Amino acid sequence: MLNILWRNMKWRFQNPLSIAVTILQPLLWLILYSSVAGQTMQNMGIGNYTAFILPGIIVLVTFSACSSGGIINFIMKSSGSFYRVLISPISRNSIVLGQMLEAIVVSFIEVIILCVIALFFSVKVASGLSSIALMILLIFMTAFFLSGLAYSISLFLPNEVIYETIMTAIVLPLFFLSSALFPTENLLGGLKVAVMLNPFTHIINALRSLILGEPILLGDILGVIVLFTVLCCGSYALAIWRLQKETAY
Amino acid sequence: MMAIEVEKLVKQYKNGVRALDELSLQVNRGEIFSLLGPNGAGKSSLINILTTFYKPTSGKVIMLGKDLCQEPAWVRKQIACVAQRVSIDEHLSLMENMIFQSRLYKVEPQVAKKRISSLLDSFELSGYQKYPTASYSGGIKRRLDIAMNMVSSPKILFLDEPTVGMDVESRKAMWKVLRKIRDEFSTTILLTTHYLEEADQLSDTICIMKEGKELAQGTPSNLRSFIRQNMLRIVFSNADETKKYKNTLENTGLIKFANVRGNSAFAGVDDSRTAFTAVNKWLLDHQVEFDAIEIVEPSIEDVFLALTASGNKRREEWVC
Repeated sequence: MLNILWRNMKWRFQNPLSIAVTILQPLLWLILYSSVAGQTMQNMGIGNYTAFILPGIIVLVTFSACSSGGIINFIMKSSGSFYRVLISPISRNSIVLGQMLEAIVVSFIEVIILCVIALFFSVKVASGLSSIALMILLIFMTAFFLSGLAYSISLFLPNEVIYETIMTAIVLPLFFLSSALFPTENLLGGLKVAVMLNPFTHIINALRSLILGEPILLGDILGVIVLFTVLCCGSYALAIWRLQKETAY
Repeated sequence: MMAIEVEKLVKQYKNGVRALDELSLQVNRGEIFSLLGPNGAGKSSLINILTTFYKPTSGKVIMLGKDLCQEPAWVRKQIACVAQRVSIDEHLSLMENMIFQSRLYKVEPQVAKKRISSLLDSFELSGYQKYPTASYSGGIKRRLDIAMNMVSSPKILFLDEPTVGMDVESRKAMWKVLRKIRDEFSTTILLTTHYLEEADQLSDTICIMKEGKELAQGTPSNLRSFIRQNMLRIVFSNADETKKYKNTLENTGLIKFANVRGNSAFAGVDDSRTAFTAVNKWLLDHQVEFDAIEIVEPSIEDVFLALTASGNKRREEWVC
């Protein structure tokens, strides 16, 4: 597992542009959009809009980092050691976990960069160290789920062009149909149902409560952890099943 | 104990293509075994099954005494495969590629260090360590690919068309490497190739395949005697003349068939001494300009063409 992680991280550090590109768009949302929309949002009772949208941007950057993990899989397939690894005695679990861990590590690197930049916009975690630990757990679960999903999709699809198109088609609806940019209290009807069915709404809400120091019910946060535990298990099982199918022709 | 025993192996893909059709073959330990066959013969399907990448539809494969389907994990530890396409990671250095491979096979770091050093010397790769792998020529990348696959000291090494696209010099250098692997490391080598000369020069045993079946298996000399074909070689001044008289000779009834290689027409005949006189007389009577005529032994190419010829008629004519 660590061997695969090491190989992929070497690729990342030799191609730092892959980190820069995936963080660029979330960074623009955080800096430009929060500045532009911040004044309007003040009228709605949101004091620090940058702090408000930071959880959504964290999820967005995690999605971007995990998606680019799938691209590495295509690179290894077309001009690297994908086939050689598959016929080696390494366990399928190690292959999948090595691939996923790389995406998780890159996600954390990018989240840390975002959080450091957010500090310059007066964003502070109001509830202390225990909240930071809980935030790390929630971000880890988000990255684990998304990296497993991205890896599975990369194994399903024939090339990186289709892969990128599909991932873009997934990320934007998920981002906009969540509580990333606006409070959801006043939403009505089908839109509200769609937003509440989006699992990322719940992780964003939990992260936001931790950042803003809002009172948070144990049941709510436990519910999010249980939901993402199920999603993580599902995406990991899907990745293992799809990888095993690669040698089941 | 044999290195590989394949019995009535069938591989049928979901689209209905039957790539392997009750194929049977045996590979001895420590030999270079070549699979020879036209495109679509099932060579790559066989390699993919033997390397645990594909699952067979039916049949039995015993590798080093163990059933491949029952113990694929054990088999993976004993083998390595150099795929048709070079599989080095170009973002890793030469040494990092070797280390990555040794870790995949859980080779102890100290043992791996010694093996890597020895392999770099054996494969004459030491001088390339300071350059990025992406800058290597195709031949060097292929050599590194093979060296990497040797780092786990596999008992069986598979090579899927290892010299495809190489120039003559690089191909000969590759043959030297493969002989070295067999002789110095006692590794059994199973390779697929399109090149008849390669199979002839390199192999201890050749298996000729067509449409998923084995047509013949044996040493190169056995295969040559297998067809026991009497042959004449008639040399013309150029390739066009050769092609022209090949057809004419076939219509005379003096020969059974002919094929052209360069300026020479190789003719299959019933009795070489009688045919030598008759063909010679016919050429002189018809004032055909030719440079030479001789009785020749069949080559591996003749064996291959005889066995893989599309029409059954020609195959039946061979005395097997």
